[in-house]
Amino acid sequence: MFEILRELCCLDATSGNEDAVKNYIIEKIAPYCEYRVDNLGNIIAFKKGEKTPEKRLVIDAHMDEVGLIITSVTDGGFLKFKTVGGIDTAVLMSRKVMINGEIPGVITAKPIHLLEKEEAKKLPKADSLCIDIGANSKDAAQEKISLGDRAVIASDYIEAGDKILSKALDDRIGCAVLITLLKEDSEYDFYATFSVQEEVGLRGARTAVFAVNPDSAIVVEATTAADIADVPSEKRVCVQGEGAVISFMDNATVYDRKYYNAALNSGIKCQPKSAVAGGNNSGAIHLNREGVRTVSVSVPCRYIHSASSVADKGDIKSVLDMVRELKNGILGGKYD
Amino acid sequence: MDIKNILFSLSGANNAFYVSEASDIAYDILSKYAKTQKKSGLTVIGEIKGESDYTIMLDAHIDEVSFVVTNIDENGFLTVNKAGGIDIRALAAKTVTIHGKEKVTGVFCSTPPHLASGEVEYDDISKIKIDTMLGKKAKDIISVGDIVTYNTKPFELGNLVAGKSFDDRAGVVCLLELAERLSNKKLPCNVVFSLCDSEELGCRGSRTATFSVNPDEAIAIDVSFGDGPNISPDECGKVSSGAMVGIAPVLDEKISDKLIKLAKENNIPYQCEVMGDRTGTDCDVISITREGVKTGLLSIPLRNMHTDAEVLDIADIKSVCDILESYILSGGIKDV
Repeated sequence: MFEILRELCCLDATSGNEDAVKNYIIEKIAPYCEYRVDNLGNIIAFKKGEKTPEKRLVIDAHMDEVGLIITSVTDGGFLKFKTVGGIDTAVLMSRKVMINGEIPGVITAKPIHLLEKEEAKKLPKADSLCIDIGANSKDAAQEKISLGDRAVIASDYIEAGDKILSKALDDRIGCAVLITLLKEDSEYDFYATFSVQEEVGLRGARTAVFAVNPDSAIVVEATTAADIADVPSEKRVCVQGEGAVISFMDNATVYDRKYYNAALNSGIKCQPKSAVAGGNNSGAIHLNREGVRTVSVSVPCRYIHSASSVADKGDIKSVLDMVRELKNGILGGKYD
Repeated sequence: MDIKNILFSLSGANNAFYVSEASDIAYDILSKYAKTQKKSGLTVIGEIKGESDYTIMLDAHIDEVSFVVTNIDENGFLTVNKAGGIDIRALAAKTVTIHGKEKVTGVFCSTPPHLASGEVEYDDISKIKIDTMLGKKAKDIISVGDIVTYNTKPFELGNLVAGKSFDDRAGVVCLLELAERLSNKKLPCNVVFSLCDSEELGCRGSRTATFSVNPDEAIAIDVSFGDGPNISPDECGKVSSGAMVGIAPVLDEKISDKLIKLAKENNIPYQCEVMGDRTGTDCDVISITREGVKTGLLSIPLRNMHTDAEVLDIADIKSVCDILESYILSGGIKDV
């Protein structure tokens, strides 16, 4: 699974432009399940198990990642951009980016030496940042790129002890977990959706879940871990090394309480998400048609939405174990 | 000499305090062309004898902006102090190398989204911790006083290049190239290449190096502000437009004039950089060493100074080298 995760993280797939990840996933899962791709680009997979359950379950992970979209070119040949998904301006400063997966750029700003003292203490306005691609004129830049081209913040994939540091752990971890489950034999039939456009408003999951029309859903995600220096324990949300994170509520969803309790009582290493913060595809999924019983299982992830997000391998294993356990429990009618 | 390759190897190497990777590389190269010795700290000095006693010292600093560990907490988070004029707004989620008992990759913490609250004041680097990803084991490997450096790998950016520590490895590679060019020529004077330490801490290395060399005149080769979005043309040079010849009250007018004259005569691209005060480079201390030294300044325009993604044009390094070569071959201002 970790080799798959590494390969997934090294692919670029900003929201609405998920082809690279989509094609990779299809190649991996094709021998093990039926699948189709819907109009938005969601992969909807069906895994035939030993038994066909009465209820229908979907397990979801999103393929897209936060990134940048090129909006204009200045006379000097610098690229203006908007963020795709929520990115803190601080993690954009002097960053290497990759445009269309092949053209490197650097996010440039006025050096602090040339700023007034008070100005130097504040981040520049996001819309004042530009990408430098080493083109010395507007024409030279436009030969290389087009408006609407996408960029991601470049990163290395680093494994250090139990930790993994990379861009896009949110939510390639979820994708790697789903691929792993589809490759295994399953007791019950189930559906898996690899969805698009999560970072721009939970959009892909809405159409994918309409198509599947499930009774229950498990959303596999990465969530903010604020277990870092200078953050008091009540604000940490979750802690790395303490296992899968199970949500009772976030800004988009109130989760199914029976599933929540079942997860916490499963004996698999886990922790409640101790904050009402963020949101994920559950927000779209649980409101599908007449409603879907939904549970969210997440990996605690530090520095999420940056090029250096950090996750713990043990937590990722716990998430895989938990999703498998809940899948079998839900489809076996254990929590009805 | 393949200037780009040497620059990249010098940039990827670290050089601060007790870490002397770049100095070791420079020493090995300079030794091929000049009588070279390692001096105190990171300073490397090489000399090519000429046909008179007149000595021109060429200075480029070989240290880099870095960090020093001041505290290690129980969970493996470091507090650091700046060693040089780092832009602390551009640190969030950046990876770094910690030079402890072994090299450790760390990452500067970024603010978790749920804790982001309006505009942040970037006035104190001790608020921005480094996650060593080692947890409690950090104290076994890392000690207070250990050095932390950027770990960006250099890369090509269209016709330009980007990387860490081009300030002032660009100057260093320029002098290495010059040493190669001069090594098989008859010189009218002695040339001393002073690749000196601790410029970023207030031009300390050049103070002692210049005392030791005791030159008749000197030229420093450094980087200066290159053009970019939101930077007024009157406060920067233009990248890809040639060597910046310094003109300032603390610089020797004859040297500046001759550098410009030679650039014109030889059709070498150049631009003037006029400063109203001191230069913020080693020139400021070289010129007041012992009984005073006539000093000039050539700069390479560079974007994003003191970040881990400095950007420059190799052609500008060559322009500086071209001017210096003709300057040395014509005996400097010995007979002016």
